[in-house]
Amino acid sequence: MISKEEVQNLAGLARLELSEEEVTALQKDISNILEYVGQVSAVSTGEAGQEVGGTYNVLRADTPRGEEDPLHNTREQLLEALPKREGDYNVVRKIIQKDE
Amino acid sequence: MSAVELARAYKKQIDEKDGGIHAYLEVFADIEAQAGAADEAIARGEKGALLGIPLALKDNILIKGRRVSAASKILEGYVATYDATVTRKLKDAGAVLLGRTNMDEFAHGSSTENSAFGPTKNPHDETRVPGGSSGGSAAAVAAHMALGALGTDTGGSVREPASFCGLVGLKPTYGAVSRFGLIAMGSSLDQAGPLTHTVADTELIFNVIRGKDPLDSTSVDTAMYKKRGGAKKIGVPRHLLTSGVDAGILEEFEKALAVLAAKGYEIVDIELPSAGLALAIYYVVMPAEVSSNLARFDGVRYGLSRKGATQWEDYAKTRGEGFGGEARRRIMLGTYVLSSGYYDAYYHKAIQARAALSAEVAQALEMVDIIATPSTPTVAPKLGEHTADPLAMYLLDIFTVTANLTGNPALTVPIGTVIKEKIPLPVGLQCTAAHGDETNLFAVGKALE
Repeated sequence: MISKEEVQNLAGLARLELSEEEVTALQKDISNILEYVGQVSAVSTGEAGQEVGGTYNVLRADTPRGEEDPLHNTREQLLEALPKREGDYNVVRKIIQKDE
Repeated sequence: MSAVELARAYKKQIDEKDGGIHAYLEVFADIEAQAGAADEAIARGEKGALLGIPLALKDNILIKGRRVSAASKILEGYVATYDATVTRKLKDAGAVLLGRTNMDEFAHGSSTENSAFGPTKNPHDETRVPGGSSGGSAAAVAAHMALGALGTDTGGSVREPASFCGLVGLKPTYGAVSRFGLIAMGSSLDQAGPLTHTVADTELIFNVIRGKDPLDSTSVDTAMYKKRGGAKKIGVPRHLLTSGVDAGILEEFEKALAVLAAKGYEIVDIELPSAGLALAIYYVVMPAEVSSNLARFDGVRYGLSRKGATQWEDYAKTRGEGFGGEARRRIMLGTYVLSSGYYDAYYHKAIQARAALSAEVAQALEMVDIIATPSTPTVAPKLGEHTADPLAMYLLDIFTVTANLTGNPALTVPIGTVIKEKIPLPVGLQCTAAHGDETNLFAVGKALE
């Protein structure tokens, strides 16, 4: 069974706040699921399967979206969705602190 | 019958039935206006493959100017800023959109019990689940609250609920239908597809929504696939059916194969040695993609936004509160299999095994035209039957995940019922075909109707 500390470390990596009860429950759930999916570790597949899918590097021209494009003129709606908006700015938390 | 009369009939059915079934998260207020516009188009002599046809959309498909939540609290208040490509194609064909249907949160589940807004009930027996994750779409169509619906299928999320609700459901060839404007779950697995009462309806809707899309770089022109003749040979991987499948389902499955044999199809046994690993591969690949796709929900740009003492706490609180239990479990699992130290043992092995499985299925489809299995190992479970044991829930997808891993198209068609507690519950047969060969799926599906 994976340890409580491992679950807490994963929660940190995944940016998830978990309750004590959920940490305990996840120890059991994740261990059970890992035991089941662990079957794949036994597969000997050599060098096959480094790539999945048949399409590569699909690029588009760097030109403004035309009127027929569904993303044309959606700027205002995107701004409208911001949790905290000031004018055309998204207000976010200050992340650079002054040197002390 | 006019489009408005048709829309009113469906609206009436929704008003009468959906209180108990809870297929819809929102029924649109402008159904009659949409239908009125369709009637005017008809009067002007305009044509549209779906002109005036009332359809429902799963709540992870964007419709410009309307709420969309993926049945999650983390998208609280979010309004779609554009149409998904499938939405635009349905609108262009004249469809009347009735509403958005319930689902497992972010499509994580096989029962629709993981919705943040409460479960949907199976119209055949309201003590049972409709399947999932497109359970709302399946229940809406099964209870005649929509003529057809779109769902999305990442590991069986169209086919499993279609099977549990007695419907036809299609998971198209990966890339056949644009994913632009779908809320992503597993980007290498996701496809949108129809749920309907008949194969002809599914075919009609598929022909409307398909096509290469410049806005989805993984979409393809399916004409690139080799054209195949009419299907004659159907392969059955019987080694996958020796345990864990309900006896009544196996009986219905054999009867359906006999029907196909009587219609001139040749039924042969095939071996898919890696198919027993498909679910294990899926539960590594899918959570890895889920944890990556769900990283965007951080409360900074849209949706739920909770504040803590630090930026780290802002993220952790928003995501801890906004995501439900199953989404959190899959994010944790995905983070684990992608973390350094475990990547080689899990994710890397899984994508190799996925390639081996794809090669095996491709090889089998050189020998036969169609691979047939039951769609699900059991009929629809009771509400709450599997909620305490995630792994038991995952096993419901044992026959459906392969097509998502390999990108092949797969269709479920209803073939009969199994009686449980005196109530007949639907059973489905799943056909899988070569990439781009939906045509043969429809042909075999129609032979079973």
